[in-house]
Amino acid sequence: MHTAFAAALTVEVRKFAASRVVRTATVLVVLGIAVLTGSMTAAAEAGNEEILAQLGAFADAEGWDRLAGVAAQITGAGGLLGFGVVLAWAVGREFAEGTVSGLFALPVSRATVMAAKLTTFAVWTAGVAVALVTVLAVTGVVAGNGAPDAEAFAGLGRLLALVVFSGLLAAPAAWAATLGRGLLPGIATSIGTVVVAQVMVVSGTGAWFPVAAPSLWAMRPGDVSAVQLALALLVPLISGLLAMRAWSRLQLDR
Amino acid sequence: MSELRLQTRNLTRAFPGGAGVHGVDLDVTAGQIHALVGLNGAGKTTLMRLLLGMLRPDSGAVRLGGCALGEAGAATWARVGHLVGHPLAYPELDAESNLTVAARMRGVPRPRIPAMVARALAELDLEQYARVRTRVLSSGNRQRLGVAGALQHDPDLVVLDEPTNALDPAGVLLVREALLRRAHAGAGVLVSSHHLDEVARIAHRITVVNRGRTIGTLDPEGVEIERAFFALVHADDERRKGCTQPSRPR
Repeated sequence: MHTAFAAALTVEVRKFAASRVVRTATVLVVLGIAVLTGSMTAAAEAGNEEILAQLGAFADAEGWDRLAGVAAQITGAGGLLGFGVVLAWAVGREFAEGTVSGLFALPVSRATVMAAKLTTFAVWTAGVAVALVTVLAVTGVVAGNGAPDAEAFAGLGRLLALVVFSGLLAAPAAWAATLGRGLLPGIATSIGTVVVAQVMVVSGTGAWFPVAAPSLWAMRPGDVSAVQLALALLVPLISGLLAMRAWSRLQLDR
Repeated sequence: MSELRLQTRNLTRAFPGGAGVHGVDLDVTAGQIHALVGLNGAGKTTLMRLLLGMLRPDSGAVRLGGCALGEAGAATWARVGHLVGHPLAYPELDAESNLTVAARMRGVPRPRIPAMVARALAELDLEQYARVRTRVLSSGNRQRLGVAGALQHDPDLVVLDEPTNALDPAGVLLVREALLRRAHAGAGVLVSSHHLDEVARIAHRITVVNRGRTIGTLDPEGVEIERAFFALVHADDERRKGCTQPSRPR
Protein backbone atom coordinates (compact mmCIF):
# COMPACT_ATOMS: atom_id res chain seq x y z
CA MET A 1 0.00 0.00 0.00
CA HIS A 2 1.22 3.50 -0.80
CA THR A 3 2.82 5.03 2.31
CA ALA A 4 0.79 8.24 2.27
CA PHE A 5 -2.48 6.37 1.86
CA ALA A 6 -1.50 3.91 4.59
CA ALA A 7 -0.78 6.81 6.95
CA ALA A 8 -4.06 8.57 6.14
CA LEU A 9 -5.99 5.32 6.46
CA THR A 10 -4.45 4.54 9.86
CA VAL A 11 -5.40 8.01 11.08
CA GLU A 12 -8.97 7.84 9.77
CA VAL A 13 -9.52 4.36 11.23
CA ARG A 14 -8.25 5.62 14.58
CA LYS A 15 -10.64 8.59 14.51
CA PHE A 16 -13.56 6.38 13.44
CA ALA A 17 -12.89 3.79 16.12
CA ALA A 18 -12.70 6.40 18.89
CA SER A 19 -15.75 8.37 17.77
CA ARG A 20 -18.96 8.47 19.78
CA VAL A 21 -20.84 9.54 16.65
CA VAL A 22 -19.81 6.37 14.82
CA ARG A 23 -20.49 4.16 17.83
CA THR A 24 -23.94 5.64 18.33
CA ALA A 25 -24.76 5.38 14.64
CA THR A 26 -23.66 1.73 14.59
CA VAL A 27 -26.00 0.89 17.45
CA LEU A 28 -28.87 2.94 16.00
CA VAL A 29 -28.59 1.46 12.51
CA VAL A 30 -28.15 -2.15 13.63
CA LEU A 31 -30.50 -2.27 16.59
CA GLY A 32 -32.89 0.37 15.25
CA ILE A 33 -33.52 -1.48 11.99
CA ALA A 34 -33.62 -4.85 13.80
CA VAL A 35 -36.14 -3.63 16.41
CA LEU A 36 -38.31 -1.92 13.79
CA THR A 37 -38.23 -5.01 11.58
CA GLY A 38 -38.99 -7.34 14.48
CA SER A 39 -41.87 -5.22 15.79
CA MET A 40 -43.42 -4.64 12.35
CA THR A 41 -43.18 -8.33 11.53
CA ALA A 42 -44.74 -9.25 14.87
CA ALA A 43 -47.53 -6.71 14.32
CA ALA A 44 -48.19 -8.14 10.85
CA GLU A 45 -48.31 -11.66 12.32
CA ALA A 46 -50.90 -10.38 14.81
CA GLY A 47 -52.98 -9.07 11.91
CA ASN A 48 -52.49 -5.31 12.49
CA GLU A 49 -54.28 -3.81 9.47
CA GLU A 50 -52.32 -0.55 9.37
CA ILE A 51 -48.98 -2.33 9.42
CA LEU A 52 -50.14 -4.82 6.78
CA ALA A 53 -51.14 -1.88 4.57
CA GLN A 54 -47.64 -0.40 4.98
CA LEU A 55 -45.99 -3.67 4.01
CA GLY A 56 -47.58 -3.74 0.55
CA ALA A 57 -46.44 -6.83 -1.34
CA PHE A 58 -45.02 -8.35 1.84
CA ALA A 59 -48.35 -8.31 3.65
CA ASP A 60 -49.11 -11.78 2.33
CA ALA A 61 -45.56 -13.11 2.74
CA GLU A 62 -44.54 -15.22 5.70
CA GLY A 63 -41.52 -16.25 7.75
CA TRP A 64 -38.06 -15.35 6.42
CA ASP A 65 -39.48 -13.86 3.25
CA ARG A 66 -41.49 -11.27 5.19
CA LEU A 67 -38.64 -10.59 7.64
CA ALA A 68 -36.13 -9.90 4.85
CA GLY A 69 -38.67 -7.86 2.87
CA VAL A 70 -39.60 -5.68 5.83
CA ALA A 71 -35.93 -5.17 6.72
CA ALA A 72 -35.18 -4.18 3.12
CA GLN A 73 -38.00 -1.64 3.15
CA ILE A 74 -36.67 -0.02 6.30
CA THR A 75 -32.99 -0.23 5.31
CA GLY A 76 -33.58 1.41 1.92
CA ALA A 77 -34.53 4.68 3.64
CA GLY A 78 -33.29 4.45 7.24
CA GLY A 79 -29.94 2.88 6.44
CA LEU A 80 -29.13 5.43 3.76
CA LEU A 81 -29.99 8.26 6.12
CA GLY A 82 -27.91 6.81 8.98
CA PHE A 83 -24.91 6.23 6.73
CA GLY A 84 -25.29 9.69 5.23
CA VAL A 85 -25.16 11.30 8.66
CA VAL A 86 -21.95 9.45 9.54
CA LEU A 87 -20.24 10.33 6.27
CA ALA A 88 -21.37 13.96 6.53
CA TRP A 89 -19.86 14.01 10.02
CA ALA A 90 -16.59 12.36 8.95
CA VAL A 91 -16.03 15.04 6.33
CA GLY A 92 -17.92 18.05 7.68
CA ARG A 93 -16.34 17.86 11.14
CA GLU A 94 -12.97 18.88 9.72
CA PHE A 95 -14.54 22.20 8.73
CA ALA A 96 -16.82 22.57 11.77
CA GLU A 97 -13.99 21.85 14.22
CA GLY A 98 -11.39 23.80 12.25
CA THR A 99 -9.02 20.83 11.95
CA VAL A 100 -9.03 21.13 8.16
CA SER A 101 -6.21 23.71 8.32
CA GLY A 102 -4.01 21.01 9.86
CA LEU A 103 -4.65 18.81 6.81
CA PHE A 104 -2.88 21.27 4.49
CA ALA A 105 0.88 21.50 3.95
CA LEU A 106 1.44 17.79 4.62
CA PRO A 107 3.24 15.02 2.74
CA VAL A 108 -0.17 13.33 2.57
CA SER A 109 -2.31 15.05 -0.06
CA ARG A 110 -5.84 16.12 0.75
CA ALA A 111 -7.22 13.90 -2.02
CA THR A 112 -5.52 10.99 -0.24
CA VAL A 113 -7.12 12.04 3.05
CA MET A 114 -10.53 11.98 1.37
CA ALA A 115 -9.78 8.58 -0.21
CA ALA A 116 -8.87 7.29 3.26
CA LYS A 117 -12.09 8.70 4.71
CA LEU A 118 -14.19 7.02 2.03
CA THR A 119 -12.34 3.72 2.44
CA THR A 120 -12.75 3.75 6.21
CA PHE A 121 -16.41 4.56 5.82
CA ALA A 122 -16.93 1.74 3.28
CA VAL A 123 -15.23 -0.80 5.55
CA TRP A 124 -17.36 0.35 8.51
CA THR A 125 -20.46 0.03 6.31
CA ALA A 126 -19.55 -3.58 5.50
CA GLY A 127 -19.12 -4.27 9.22
CA VAL A 128 -22.53 -2.75 9.97
CA ALA A 129 -24.04 -4.89 7.18
CA VAL A 130 -22.65 -8.09 8.70
CA ALA A 131 -23.79 -7.09 12.20
CA LEU A 132 -27.29 -6.12 11.05
CA VAL A 133 -27.87 -9.28 9.03
CA THR A 134 -26.55 -11.41 11.90
CA VAL A 135 -28.92 -9.73 14.36
CA LEU A 136 -31.82 -10.16 11.92
CA ALA A 137 -30.97 -13.83 11.40
CA VAL A 138 -31.05 -14.36 15.16
CA THR A 139 -34.31 -12.39 15.33
CA GLY A 140 -35.81 -14.66 12.67
CA VAL A 141 -34.83 -17.81 14.51
CA VAL A 142 -36.09 -16.46 17.84
CA ALA A 143 -39.37 -15.41 16.16
CA GLY A 144 -39.94 -19.04 15.22
CA ASN A 145 -39.10 -18.96 11.50
CA GLY A 146 -36.94 -22.06 11.95
CA ALA A 147 -33.51 -22.56 10.42
CA PRO A 148 -33.16 -20.50 7.23
CA ASP A 149 -33.42 -22.48 3.99
CA ALA A 150 -31.65 -21.61 0.73
CA GLU A 151 -34.30 -19.04 -0.21
CA ALA A 152 -34.05 -17.40 3.21
CA PHE A 153 -30.26 -17.24 2.89
CA ALA A 154 -30.64 -15.62 -0.53
CA GLY A 155 -32.97 -13.01 1.01
CA LEU A 156 -30.53 -12.32 3.84
CA GLY A 157 -27.69 -12.15 1.30
CA ARG A 158 -29.57 -9.52 -0.72
CA LEU A 159 -30.18 -7.65 2.52
CA LEU A 160 -26.44 -7.71 3.25
CA ALA A 161 -25.77 -6.30 -0.22
CA LEU A 162 -28.48 -3.67 0.28
CA VAL A 163 -26.88 -2.41 3.50
CA VAL A 164 -23.52 -2.09 1.73
CA PHE A 165 -25.23 -0.38 -1.23
CA SER A 166 -26.97 2.00 1.18
CA GLY A 167 -23.59 2.99 2.58
CA LEU A 168 -22.11 3.49 -0.88
CA LEU A 169 -25.13 5.51 -2.00
CA ALA A 170 -24.51 7.93 0.87
CA ALA A 171 -21.26 9.03 -0.84
CA PRO A 172 -22.71 12.31 -2.21
CA ALA A 173 -22.82 13.48 1.43
CA ALA A 174 -18.99 13.66 1.38
CA TRP A 175 -18.99 15.93 -1.64
CA ALA A 176 -21.82 18.09 -0.28
CA ALA A 177 -20.13 18.43 3.14
CA THR A 178 -17.00 19.62 1.34
CA LEU A 179 -18.75 22.11 -0.91
CA GLY A 180 -20.84 23.39 2.01
CA ARG A 181 -17.91 23.34 4.48
CA GLY A 182 -19.79 21.54 7.24
CA LEU A 183 -22.02 18.69 8.39
CA LEU A 184 -25.45 20.07 7.55
CA PRO A 185 -25.07 20.18 3.75
CA GLY A 186 -24.05 16.51 3.83
CA ILE A 187 -26.98 15.53 6.04
CA ALA A 188 -29.40 17.57 3.92
CA THR A 189 -28.12 15.83 0.80
CA SER A 190 -28.79 12.42 2.36
CA ILE A 191 -32.30 13.42 3.36
CA GLY A 192 -32.92 14.74 -0.15
CA THR A 193 -31.61 11.51 -1.69
CA VAL A 194 -33.96 9.41 0.45
CA VAL A 195 -36.97 11.59 -0.43
CA VAL A 196 -36.24 11.52 -4.17
CA ALA A 197 -35.69 7.74 -4.07
CA GLN A 198 -39.06 7.24 -2.35
CA VAL A 199 -40.80 9.41 -4.94
CA MET A 200 -39.17 7.47 -7.79
CA VAL A 201 -40.23 4.16 -6.26
CA VAL A 202 -43.80 5.35 -5.82
CA SER A 203 -43.86 6.68 -9.40
CA GLY A 204 -42.80 3.26 -10.69
CA THR A 205 -39.49 4.31 -12.29
CA GLY A 206 -37.33 3.30 -9.31
CA ALA A 207 -35.38 0.53 -11.02
CA TRP A 208 -33.73 3.04 -13.37
CA PHE A 209 -33.00 5.43 -10.51
CA PRO A 210 -29.64 4.27 -9.11
CA VAL A 211 -30.43 5.27 -5.53
CA ALA A 212 -33.68 3.25 -5.48
CA ALA A 213 -32.56 0.21 -7.53
CA PRO A 214 -30.75 -1.75 -4.75
CA SER A 215 -33.71 -1.41 -2.43
CA LEU A 216 -36.16 -2.65 -5.09
CA TRP A 217 -33.76 -5.46 -6.02
CA ALA A 218 -33.47 -6.61 -2.41
CA MET A 219 -37.26 -6.79 -2.12
CA ARG A 220 -38.13 -8.04 -5.66
CA PRO A 221 -34.97 -9.28 -7.36
CA GLY A 222 -36.83 -10.16 -10.57
CA ASP A 223 -37.89 -6.52 -11.13
CA VAL A 224 -34.36 -5.07 -11.34
CA SER A 225 -31.83 -6.02 -14.03
CA ALA A 226 -28.09 -6.39 -13.44
CA VAL A 227 -27.48 -3.25 -15.52
CA GLN A 228 -29.91 -1.23 -13.41
CA LEU A 229 -28.24 -2.51 -10.25
CA ALA A 230 -24.76 -1.82 -11.60
CA LEU A 231 -25.78 1.78 -12.36
CA ALA A 232 -26.10 2.29 -8.61
CA LEU A 233 -22.32 1.89 -8.34
CA LEU A 234 -21.85 5.00 -10.45
CA VAL A 235 -23.18 7.13 -7.57
CA PRO A 236 -20.33 6.36 -5.12
CA LEU A 237 -17.79 6.28 -7.93
CA ILE A 238 -18.66 9.69 -9.35
CA SER A 239 -19.35 11.43 -6.05
CA GLY A 240 -16.23 9.90 -4.48
CA LEU A 241 -14.09 11.24 -7.32
CA LEU A 242 -15.80 14.63 -7.09
CA ALA A 243 -15.16 14.75 -3.34
CA MET A 244 -11.48 13.89 -3.85
CA ARG A 245 -11.19 16.57 -6.53
CA ALA A 246 -12.90 19.12 -4.27
CA TRP A 247 -10.43 18.33 -1.46
CA SER A 248 -7.51 18.53 -3.83
CA ARG A 249 -8.58 22.03 -4.97
CA LEU A 250 -9.72 23.17 -1.55
CA GLN A 251 -8.98 26.71 -0.38
CA LEU A 252 -9.74 28.18 3.02
CA ASP A 253 -11.30 31.26 1.51
CA ARG A 254 -14.66 31.22 3.26
CA MET B 1 24.54 34.13 3.80
CA SER B 2 22.11 31.81 5.64
CA GLU B 3 20.05 29.34 3.67
CA LEU B 4 16.59 30.58 2.73
CA ARG B 5 13.83 28.46 4.22
CA LEU B 6 11.00 30.55 2.86
CA GLN B 7 10.72 33.35 0.37
CA THR B 8 7.84 35.28 -1.10
CA ARG B 9 7.97 37.82 -3.88
CA ASN B 10 5.17 40.24 -4.72
CA LEU B 11 2.65 37.88 -3.14
CA THR B 12 -0.89 39.06 -3.68
CA ARG B 13 -4.34 37.74 -2.91
CA ALA B 14 -7.15 40.24 -2.88
CA PHE B 15 -10.60 39.62 -1.45
CA PRO B 16 -13.70 41.56 -2.44
CA GLY B 17 -13.66 44.91 -0.63
CA GLY B 18 -9.89 45.26 -0.81
CA ALA B 19 -8.87 42.98 2.08
CA GLY B 20 -6.15 40.38 1.61
CA VAL B 21 -2.41 40.74 1.07
CA HIS B 22 -0.80 42.89 -1.56
CA GLY B 23 2.69 42.60 -3.00
CA VAL B 24 4.37 41.02 0.01
CA ASP B 25 8.09 40.20 -0.09
CA LEU B 26 9.27 38.09 2.82
CA ASP B 27 12.32 35.99 3.64
CA VAL B 28 12.82 33.50 6.45
CA THR B 29 16.33 32.14 6.75
CA ALA B 30 17.70 29.09 8.53
CA GLY B 31 18.20 29.70 12.23
CA GLN B 32 16.01 32.80 12.21
CA ILE B 33 12.84 33.57 14.11
CA HIS B 34 10.97 36.02 11.95
CA ALA B 35 7.96 37.63 13.58
CA LEU B 36 5.02 39.15 11.77
CA VAL B 37 3.22 41.70 13.89
CA GLY B 38 0.13 43.64 13.04
CA LEU B 39 -3.24 44.64 14.32
CA ASN B 40 -6.20 42.28 14.06
CA GLY B 41 -7.23 41.95 10.42
CA ALA B 42 -3.87 43.20 9.13
CA GLY B 43 -3.47 40.16 6.87
CA LYS B 44 -1.08 37.98 8.90
CA THR B 45 -3.24 34.87 8.76
CA THR B 46 -4.05 35.34 5.07
CA LEU B 47 -0.33 35.63 4.38
CA MET B 48 0.41 32.44 6.30
CA ARG B 49 -2.38 30.61 4.51
CA LEU B 50 -0.84 31.64 1.19
CA LEU B 51 2.55 30.32 2.29
CA LEU B 52 1.09 26.93 3.14
CA GLY B 53 -1.14 26.44 0.11
CA MET B 54 -4.37 27.02 2.02
CA LEU B 55 -5.07 29.87 -0.38
CA ARG B 56 -3.90 30.32 -3.94
CA PRO B 57 -2.30 33.69 -4.76
CA ASP B 58 -3.62 35.98 -7.48
CA SER B 59 -0.01 36.73 -8.35
CA GLY B 60 3.49 36.48 -6.96
CA ALA B 61 5.55 33.53 -5.85
CA VAL B 62 6.32 31.45 -2.77
CA ARG B 63 9.43 29.30 -2.47
CA LEU B 64 9.86 26.69 0.27
CA GLY B 65 13.52 25.80 0.59
CA GLY B 66 14.50 25.58 -3.06
CA CYS B 67 11.06 24.65 -4.39
CA ALA B 68 8.26 26.71 -5.84
CA LEU B 69 5.13 26.15 -3.74
CA GLY B 70 3.26 24.42 -6.56
CA GLU B 71 6.10 21.96 -7.06
CA ALA B 72 6.67 21.12 -3.39
CA GLY B 73 6.42 17.37 -2.95
CA ALA B 74 6.02 15.07 0.02
CA ALA B 75 9.68 15.39 1.05
CA THR B 76 9.40 19.20 1.24
CA TRP B 77 6.15 19.15 3.21
CA ALA B 78 7.55 16.54 5.60
CA ARG B 79 10.06 19.20 6.70
CA VAL B 80 7.39 21.82 7.47
CA GLY B 81 5.50 22.25 10.72
CA HIS B 82 2.56 24.59 11.02
CA LEU B 83 -0.24 25.76 13.24
CA VAL B 84 -2.55 28.19 11.51
CA GLY B 85 -6.04 28.37 12.95
CA HIS B 86 -7.33 25.56 15.14
CA PRO B 87 -4.87 22.95 16.47
CA LEU B 88 -4.99 19.55 14.79
CA ALA B 89 -6.50 18.04 17.93
CA TYR B 90 -9.42 15.64 17.53
CA PRO B 91 -11.62 15.69 20.65
CA GLU B 92 -12.22 11.93 20.70
CA LEU B 93 -8.48 11.17 20.81
CA ASP B 94 -6.18 11.66 23.78
CA ALA B 95 -3.16 13.96 23.61
CA GLU B 96 -0.74 11.13 22.82
CA SER B 97 -2.94 9.81 20.01
CA ASN B 98 -3.33 13.28 18.54
CA LEU B 99 0.44 13.70 18.42
CA THR B 100 0.78 10.24 16.90
CA VAL B 101 -1.76 11.23 14.25
CA ALA B 102 0.17 14.47 13.54
CA ALA B 103 3.44 12.52 13.20
CA ARG B 104 1.87 9.96 10.85
CA MET B 105 0.48 12.71 8.66
CA ARG B 106 3.96 14.29 8.52
CA GLY B 107 5.36 11.04 7.18
CA VAL B 108 7.42 10.21 10.28
CA PRO B 109 8.45 6.53 10.15
CA ARG B 110 6.34 4.51 12.58
CA PRO B 111 9.19 3.20 14.81
CA ARG B 112 10.31 6.76 15.57
CA ILE B 113 6.90 8.02 16.64
CA PRO B 114 6.55 6.85 20.28
CA ALA B 115 9.82 8.45 21.42
CA MET B 116 9.09 11.59 19.43
CA VAL B 117 5.63 11.93 20.96
CA ALA B 118 6.98 11.36 24.48
CA ARG B 119 9.54 14.11 23.93
CA ALA B 120 6.89 16.49 22.57
CA LEU B 121 4.59 15.85 25.54
CA ALA B 122 7.47 16.61 27.90
CA GLU B 123 8.59 19.72 26.00
CA LEU B 124 5.15 21.38 26.27
CA ASP B 125 4.48 19.97 29.75
CA LEU B 126 1.56 17.85 28.58
CA GLU B 127 2.63 14.51 30.05
CA GLN B 128 -0.21 14.44 32.57
CA TYR B 129 -2.69 14.72 29.67
CA ALA B 130 -1.14 11.98 27.54
CA ARG B 131 -4.10 9.66 28.10
CA VAL B 132 -6.74 12.36 28.53
CA ARG B 133 -9.18 12.92 25.70
CA THR B 134 -8.64 16.29 24.08
CA ARG B 135 -12.36 17.02 24.44
CA VAL B 136 -11.86 17.79 28.13
CA LEU B 137 -8.63 19.80 27.83
CA SER B 138 -8.66 23.57 28.35
CA SER B 139 -8.21 25.70 25.23
CA GLY B 140 -4.71 26.57 26.45
CA ASN B 141 -3.69 22.93 26.67
CA ARG B 142 -5.23 22.23 23.26
CA GLN B 143 -3.11 25.08 21.92
CA ARG B 144 0.01 23.56 23.53
CA LEU B 145 -0.92 20.29 21.84
CA GLY B 146 -1.19 22.04 18.49
CA VAL B 147 2.23 23.64 18.93
CA ALA B 148 3.71 20.29 20.02
CA GLY B 149 2.29 18.63 16.89
CA ALA B 150 3.79 21.33 14.68
CA LEU B 151 7.26 21.10 16.23
CA GLN B 152 7.74 17.49 17.28
CA HIS B 153 9.30 16.31 14.00
CA ASP B 154 11.93 19.08 14.15
CA PRO B 155 10.94 20.72 10.86
CA ASP B 156 13.20 22.95 8.78
CA LEU B 157 10.43 25.51 8.45
CA VAL B 158 7.96 26.37 11.18
CA VAL B 159 4.91 28.56 10.50
CA LEU B 160 2.82 29.45 13.53
CA ASP B 161 -0.08 31.88 13.62
CA GLU B 162 -0.54 33.44 17.05
CA PRO B 163 0.89 30.37 18.81
CA THR B 164 0.57 31.90 22.26
CA ASN B 165 -3.19 32.43 21.94
CA ALA B 166 -4.98 31.13 25.04
CA LEU B 167 -1.69 30.16 26.71
CA ASP B 168 -0.96 30.96 30.33
CA PRO B 169 2.40 32.60 31.17
CA ALA B 170 4.02 29.20 31.73
CA GLY B 171 2.80 28.03 28.34
CA VAL B 172 4.14 31.18 26.68
CA LEU B 173 7.58 30.50 28.15
CA LEU B 174 7.52 26.88 26.99
CA VAL B 175 6.58 27.87 23.45
CA ARG B 176 9.28 30.56 23.34
CA GLU B 177 11.91 28.08 24.50
CA ALA B 178 10.73 25.44 22.03
CA LEU B 179 10.95 27.93 19.16
CA LEU B 180 14.41 29.08 20.21
CA ARG B 181 15.59 25.46 20.31
CA ARG B 182 14.29 24.86 16.77
CA ALA B 183 15.93 28.04 15.49
CA HIS B 184 19.25 27.12 17.14
CA ALA B 185 19.03 23.76 15.42
CA GLY B 186 18.71 25.51 12.05
CA ALA B 187 14.99 25.82 11.44
CA GLY B 188 13.49 28.95 9.94
CA VAL B 189 10.60 30.09 12.13
CA LEU B 190 7.84 32.43 11.00
CA VAL B 191 5.53 33.41 13.80
CA SER B 192 2.75 35.95 13.95
CA SER B 193 1.61 37.84 16.99
CA HIS B 194 -0.23 40.90 18.11
CA HIS B 195 1.60 40.85 21.46
CA LEU B 196 4.70 42.89 20.85
CA ASP B 197 6.37 41.98 24.11
CA GLU B 198 6.15 38.28 23.60
CA VAL B 199 7.50 38.38 20.07
CA ALA B 200 10.21 40.90 20.75
CA ARG B 201 11.85 38.64 23.32
CA ILE B 202 12.57 35.87 20.87
CA ALA B 203 12.49 37.26 17.32
CA HIS B 204 15.60 37.98 15.28
CA ARG B 205 13.59 40.00 12.82
CA ILE B 206 10.22 41.72 13.19
CA THR B 207 8.17 42.71 10.16
CA VAL B 208 5.13 44.92 10.59
CA VAL B 209 2.05 44.11 8.54
CA ASN B 210 -0.71 46.65 8.03
CA ARG B 211 -3.73 46.44 5.73
CA GLY B 212 -2.25 43.53 3.82
CA ARG B 213 1.17 45.05 3.21
CA THR B 214 4.53 44.82 4.93
CA ILE B 215 5.26 48.37 5.99
CA GLY B 216 8.59 48.14 7.77
CA THR B 217 10.62 46.39 10.43
CA LEU B 218 11.17 46.86 14.14
CA ASP B 219 14.41 46.45 16.01
CA PRO B 220 13.90 43.50 18.42
CA GLU B 221 16.56 44.99 20.68
CA GLY B 222 15.06 48.45 20.59
CA VAL B 223 13.46 50.22 23.51
CA GLU B 224 9.93 51.52 23.17
CA ILE B 225 9.18 48.90 20.58
CA GLU B 226 5.46 49.40 21.06
CA ARG B 227 5.73 53.09 20.31
CA ALA B 228 7.77 52.33 17.19
CA PHE B 229 5.11 49.84 16.05
CA PHE B 230 2.25 52.29 16.40
CA ALA B 231 4.29 55.02 14.72
CA LEU B 232 4.80 52.79 11.69
CA VAL B 233 1.14 51.80 11.52
CA HIS B 234 -0.06 55.38 12.00
CA ALA B 235 2.29 56.69 9.31
CA ASP B 236 1.08 54.03 6.90
CA ASP B 237 -2.57 54.80 7.64
CA GLU B 238 -1.96 58.51 7.10
CA ARG B 239 -0.11 57.89 3.85
CA ARG B 240 -2.98 55.83 2.50
CA LYS B 241 -5.54 58.35 3.66
CA GLY B 242 -3.62 60.96 1.70
CA CYS B 243 -3.64 58.75 -1.37
CA THR B 244 -7.36 58.08 -1.26
CA GLN B 245 -8.59 61.64 -0.46
CA PRO B 246 -9.87 63.49 -3.50
CA SER B 247 -7.81 66.54 -4.44
CA ARG B 248 -9.40 69.95 -3.80
CA PRO B 249 -10.68 71.85 -6.78
CA ARG B 250 -8.50 74.88 -7.54
